[in-house]
Amino acid sequence: MLERLYNLFLQFREYVLLAGLVVLSFILLSLNDRPQVKQIRTFATVAMGVVQNQLSFIPRYFQLKGENEALRRVNVELADEASRLREAKLENMRLRSLLGLKADSDMPLVAANVVSKNLTLLRNSLTLDAGTADGIQPSMPVLSELGLVGVVIATSENYSIANILWNTDFRASAKVQRSRVDGILAWDGQKLILKNIAKTLDVKAGDVLVTSDYSNTYPPDIRIGIISSVREEAGSLFREVVVTPSVDFVRLEQVFVLTAVPDSERVDLETRVIQMLNP
Amino acid sequence: MERHFRSILIVLGLLLLQTAFVPLLSLGGMVPDLLLIWVVYAALRRGQIEATIAGFLVGLLQDLVSIQLFGLAALSKTIAGFLAGYFYNENKTDQTLGTYRFLLVVGLCSLGHNIPYFMIFFQGSDASPALATMQYTLATTAYTIAISALPMFAFSRRLAT
Repeated sequence: MLERLYNLFLQFREYVLLAGLVVLSFILLSLNDRPQVKQIRTFATVAMGVVQNQLSFIPRYFQLKGENEALRRVNVELADEASRLREAKLENMRLRSLLGLKADSDMPLVAANVVSKNLTLLRNSLTLDAGTADGIQPSMPVLSELGLVGVVIATSENYSIANILWNTDFRASAKVQRSRVDGILAWDGQKLILKNIAKTLDVKAGDVLVTSDYSNTYPPDIRIGIISSVREEAGSLFREVVVTPSVDFVRLEQVFVLTAVPDSERVDLETRVIQMLNP
Repeated sequence: MERHFRSILIVLGLLLLQTAFVPLLSLGGMVPDLLLIWVVYAALRRGQIEATIAGFLVGLLQDLVSIQLFGLAALSKTIAGFLAGYFYNENKTDQTLGTYRFLLVVGLCSLGHNIPYFMIFFQGSDASPALATMQYTLATTAYTIAISALPMFAFSRRLAT
């Protein structure tokens, strides 16, 4: 038996080797996110970079003339653009003073610029250039003209940190605008999901999602996004409802913090009931 | 042993060329694959098993110094080395290397390399994976075949002398 297997192996050794190396390659592909792999790659890239750096004068020599011409062209274009940008800045300052969203809204809003953002982690956040000096406190909602951005979680005198929708800690009570179906919005690390949507409920792709009336933190009817897909989950009473946010976090530069304090009577009552039910 | 040591030096040199200088030859984002040409050469010189192993190791080396998916070049160069091994014939090695047959073998192996490479590479991208795979595969294959004419001419001159 063993001899037969061995003869078979010898007969097809090339294919066995190919299969083994292909499987090994797929295993390596699955290990891409391991820190050890990243460390080894960093080391190898740095080593290659050191060698390349020593030889970098060769392509540089051949590229100089073309680079020179390209740079002169860019210089002229940039000078022209700088002049136009100065004009645009002045116009922008005038328009900001007339900003429609803040003037029309009944909600007390504080404008802030996004000075830093994390968009590639499991807990993503923004750093805003407004803080307690501007009346901002933790748990205040953050909005943009397109919809809900997130919630303030920490403040200093002049800065705040806000968790955005793309954060595994983020939760918001939301409702489908058309059918008034309620759910809880959360991020699972890859996509925004509207949870607790039973299969019998009327939810369709293309429906608009807004904040619901049940939240203490967010005022109702703030746009959150659009339902992009509704999928039946096998073996579950619920559906997987995926939401595409209205806000483009990659391009987000200015936001508003809603500085209204939640209804303290409602908060107290709900807190007392929770304590009563969970002594 | 000396032969392996020489091969390692050649591969390291080609890797340096591929990462530092070949991007300067880029046409519309496409570059030739010098390491693939070497894998085909190794297959025609030494056979299928050596070429398959060489393809895996060369691809792994390429993955280490690139920012693409780790293991992807190893996978595709393993397949390329295996395919190139089918054309191994110890009696006709020089004839294969120094004639248009070398370009055909490089072309076939380049297709065998690029199809799985770009199919996996473009997964999850906004572009249509099938269309992008086809475009990049054909363009990169054509460019690699064109560059492989240089070693082919070198071998053919050596054959003539």
